[in-house]
Amino acid sequence: MNFYEHTLIAKQDLSTPELESIEKKYKDIITKTDGKIIKVEKWGLLSFAKKIKAYKKGFYIHYKFESESKTLEEIKRNSIIDNFLLRHLTVKYKKLDTDTEYFKDKDINEKKK
Amino acid sequence: MKRKNNKFNKRSENPLNKLSLFQKSDSMFSKKCPLSSKDAPIIDYKNIKLLKRYVSDTDKIMPSRITSVSQNKQRKLTSEIKKAKILGLI
Repeated sequence: MNFYEHTLIAKQDLSTPELESIEKKYKDIITKTDGKIIKVEKWGLLSFAKKIKAYKKGFYIHYKFESESKTLEEIKRNSIIDNFLLRHLTVKYKKLDTDTEYFKDKDINEKKK
Repeated sequence: MKRKNNKFNKRSENPLNKLSLFQKSDSMFSKKCPLSSKDAPIIDYKNIKLLKRYVSDTDKIMPSRITSVSQNKQRKLTSEIKKAKILGLI
């Protein structure tokens, strides 16, 4: 068992129920393959530094979980097929720090507007 | 001798200029490594504020001879910057 972080970038023109279904889909994949979800963060709409496939913005979803290599294969296989996603990235960690959230302030600013 | 001194003075007049790839400035960074002190910031691909300091205007990674980052930390920086570029954050 190892600790992992996984981030997804979903397309900009999706509705909120579609985004929630994407979030649920990958949660279920992790739990079905004997993984433990530690934390889920929604970073919200962020603008890219460069265009990715003619999109300027995207929704970011961030998972922190503990699992084996089985789940990583499942996640990779699913996210390549998925039409709603632009990119994805998994990073392996020995220790996870769940306290610091780097994208928290931007969400607060969006709510105020 | 006088000409050389004039050139040196011009550089030191405006220390707030941004670091460029070809010009050394002693005022912005100290000679000690800024990332290996005791309460140094965490090098991570989500910590964009830190990473943007070590990237040039054209999104190149700054060499350690200008930023005076130690060799161990520079290796970490490059890997984290490349991860951030995949996600489109930098």
